[in-house]
Amino acid sequence: MMFNCVKNFLSRLRTLLLFVLALVPITEVMAHGERAQEPYLRTRTAQFYDVQFDRSKVEVNEEFTITGRFRLMQDWPDAVSLPETVYMSAYAPGPVITRVESYLNGIPARQSFSDLQLGRDYEFKLVMKGRVPGNHHIHPMLSVKGSGPLVGPGVWIEVTGSKADYRQEVKTMTGEVVENLDTYGVSRALGWYAVWIVLAAFWLAFWLVRPLLIPRWIVLNKGREDLLVSGRDLAVGIGLGIVVIGITFGGYAYAKKEYPYVVPLQAGTNKIDPLPELPSNVAIKVVNATYDVPGRAMRIQAKITNNGTEPLHILEFTTANLRFINKQAPGASAAILRGAPTDTVARGGLTLSDARPITAGETREVMLEASDVLWELERLVSFLTDVDSKFGGLLFFSAPNGQRQISEIGGPILPTFIQL
Amino acid sequence: MNTKTMSHSPVSTADVVAGSYSPVVQAAGLSPGAARVSRLFDLLVVIAVVLLFTGAIHLHVMLLAGDWDMFTDWKDRQFWPLVMPVVMIMFPAALQAVFWNYFRLPIGATVGAVCLMLAVSITRPMQFMVWTDYPLNMVLPAQMIAGALVMDMMLMIFRNALFTAIFGGFAFAFLFYPSNYIIMAPYYVPAAHQGMMASMADMIGYVYPRSATPEYIRIIERGTLRTFGDSASWVSALFSGFICIFMHYGWWKLGMIMSSATFLPNNKKVMAMMGIRADQKSNG
Repeated sequence: MMFNCVKNFLSRLRTLLLFVLALVPITEVMAHGERAQEPYLRTRTAQFYDVQFDRSKVEVNEEFTITGRFRLMQDWPDAVSLPETVYMSAYAPGPVITRVESYLNGIPARQSFSDLQLGRDYEFKLVMKGRVPGNHHIHPMLSVKGSGPLVGPGVWIEVTGSKADYRQEVKTMTGEVVENLDTYGVSRALGWYAVWIVLAAFWLAFWLVRPLLIPRWIVLNKGREDLLVSGRDLAVGIGLGIVVIGITFGGYAYAKKEYPYVVPLQAGTNKIDPLPELPSNVAIKVVNATYDVPGRAMRIQAKITNNGTEPLHILEFTTANLRFINKQAPGASAAILRGAPTDTVARGGLTLSDARPITAGETREVMLEASDVLWELERLVSFLTDVDSKFGGLLFFSAPNGQRQISEIGGPILPTFIQL
Repeated sequence: MNTKTMSHSPVSTADVVAGSYSPVVQAAGLSPGAARVSRLFDLLVVIAVVLLFTGAIHLHVMLLAGDWDMFTDWKDRQFWPLVMPVVMIMFPAALQAVFWNYFRLPIGATVGAVCLMLAVSITRPMQFMVWTDYPLNMVLPAQMIAGALVMDMMLMIFRNALFTAIFGGFAFAFLFYPSNYIIMAPYYVPAAHQGMMASMADMIGYVYPRSATPEYIRIIERGTLRTFGDSASWVSALFSGFICIFMHYGWWKLGMIMSSATFLPNNKKVMAMMGIRADQKSNG
């Protein structure tokens, strides 16, 4: 009864708070501040690619899966801690979705991983479950100890239904079936808190019902301390102390008996090997790179050598989750996978000075132009204020046989503030 | 003795509430009217103390203990029983000094413990359940009421700051682990997940994502206390008790300093520091 009253009160309070917030003029709520991260963190650390969400709308309790890969860039910024300890997860506005399972290169990712290698690729899989109804922006995320979260591309996931229906069942190794993890052990804990609060309330009430401050202060100054703490007070105090110690150690012994099999919190990191190195027959040397501030365009002049036996098309340039796809290249239509985030795919695509495929053994100097307002929207132009003005990204190539090759591209970049 | 206050007159309810017939009031020499006013003063001070210290001790514990108290999957065998009492004893020790030295009230530590309990009873459900949808079992707080009560008993028995620090401070820390284990025990039950063992606390931490709090950020189960096998908690509790002896004594002294009214001497040097010339007359 009491619990229901409190629950109703909290529910009404929440409604009131949401109502007040609704009055605040907010034009757009864009997820969780991933745009606020400095550009060098996003362009030169982990490059996410092939990210897919298997659905965009789920019921409460319904699962969905996020899969994809990321490359840890060779040109890792000096200002960012190396990925010596990382944690793979999903980025969400609180537990509106819950984690069911997570894997990095097929290894369970409940705990952190150590010693990831630069220049290598890793594959993740996150199985999540709807919990709180609403429209939520969800990303894959790699947290790097000492640096913080590196966020992959996100999508809006709509969760429908009622939060009250959410259940997360867990079976313990002692055979107990916990029907809902949300409420596990709560009533027991509240009961024990109540025991301690009652004991404290008794002790405080024992003193507070008597004249308190001014009379006691006067009496103490008069030297009549004997009136302030009597033998009866001492007896009650000692009695209460014995009760407290008895409950403490009696309760401890009872808890040990009630839960004979307990384990410490599980900590420590797992080691993991990167994915096998993909064959790459491409060598890239950046001649120069500029960023046209008023034109919102990155232009990269690069010498590209095809050391393979097949002609290669430049398929895509990706950095900081922005994707610039060369629409003329074979495989361009298939480059955007089903369920892939599309908010950060540049409409104009990637423009090349020479769109012909680079033939086997050929070295060609090509100008790549990645022009879009997304640079501005994603707040990536603030790389102009970075301490080392460099860019980084991945360049995808496609062969006529459909095989894809991935190479890193990066180097110094010059901003163009005005057209001279 | 003031015989006037002991005269036989009809006893009103207000007098009973004010405790006019208490030997303490009589020894203080307060008239029934003064006793009633002092009772009102008591009430106002109690309200002020509860409001002030509920906020202050909560802020203090959250700043210094933070995640160890915040999250269930931070409450490990080693650091939790060590860090929490050391942080939690500070305000109770200072409050003990104030309540005992000026009023001979052995309730300072309990007041601190109850204020913290009151604060977390408001903040945990509001911040985590109502505002951000986390389950309450993810953010169950530790309680220090058991240790605080025993510390107040020790003060009443010894009536001495040093012995209260030695026995009370130690007991405060040593009782922390068993008195909270009663609450936390279910969260150490093992479960299997993805072929790996996890405690239920680990499971709660895993299932409900804290985006900006990755798993590796937990400072738990580190160090060499494992040489004591599964008794690491008791070693931590003993060590915490040892530290709390000194913490108690230091914070008792700080409580005394902070509750003493001191004034700057109104001499030429101080006036010069305040930018006032010695020969300058005040307009007031």
